[in-house]
Amino acid sequence: MELKKLKQLRIVITIFVSLIISLAINSHSYLLTLAAVLTGMIFMALFRHKAKIKVDERDLTIQEKAAKLTYAIFAPTIGIASVLLLIPTHSGLAVFSKADFTYLEALGMIFAYLTLFMISIFAISYHFLNKKFGGGRG
Amino acid sequence: MDNKLKVYRAIHNLTQQDLADKVGVTRQTVNAIEANKYLPSLGLALKISRHFKVNVEDIFLYKENNDS
Repeated sequence: MELKKLKQLRIVITIFVSLIISLAINSHSYLLTLAAVLTGMIFMALFRHKAKIKVDERDLTIQEKAAKLTYAIFAPTIGIASVLLLIPTHSGLAVFSKADFTYLEALGMIFAYLTLFMISIFAISYHFLNKKFGGGRG
Repeated sequence: MDNKLKVYRAIHNLTQQDLADKVGVTRQTVNAIEANKYLPSLGLALKISRHFKVNVEDIFLYKENNDS
């Protein structure tokens, strides 16, 4: 299968899945939505496998660098955002003690945990990859 | 790092796509190597040199202060 044909098929699947999703949401059938999404994903994976898209070392290098850049930008951004969201509610100012601002603290907490989760994932994957590629002591 | 990939490809009358198919990469990768925009891995460099039946150093030349 050629790449052009795969792209065309992808568009058809996307249109079909979005149509089903919109119908399912309209009829409040969340199971159908889930089924449509899963079916779309399976079809995409099957066609992708059949098309045998070549992913070579240059692509992998680009993906590595893009992932590194994404992490370098995203982690500090949500980290700083969580601090900025948590500061007002813990500042003791009467303005921020209103009920209107409670969502800020909740959002700040979510961001803070997300930051910690990202750093943990990075540390764990770094540890295992380092071991896999012969790093560490000895 | 400099390379003579284009020269070897011309000698063997191969297109970028032909070489890419033979060494198992995309045409874009061959193009990037030729344009010195991408440094191939040791495995790929060996594969390319083996394909042309020459040593790696015959195709890829190391230059001091320019290792990109």
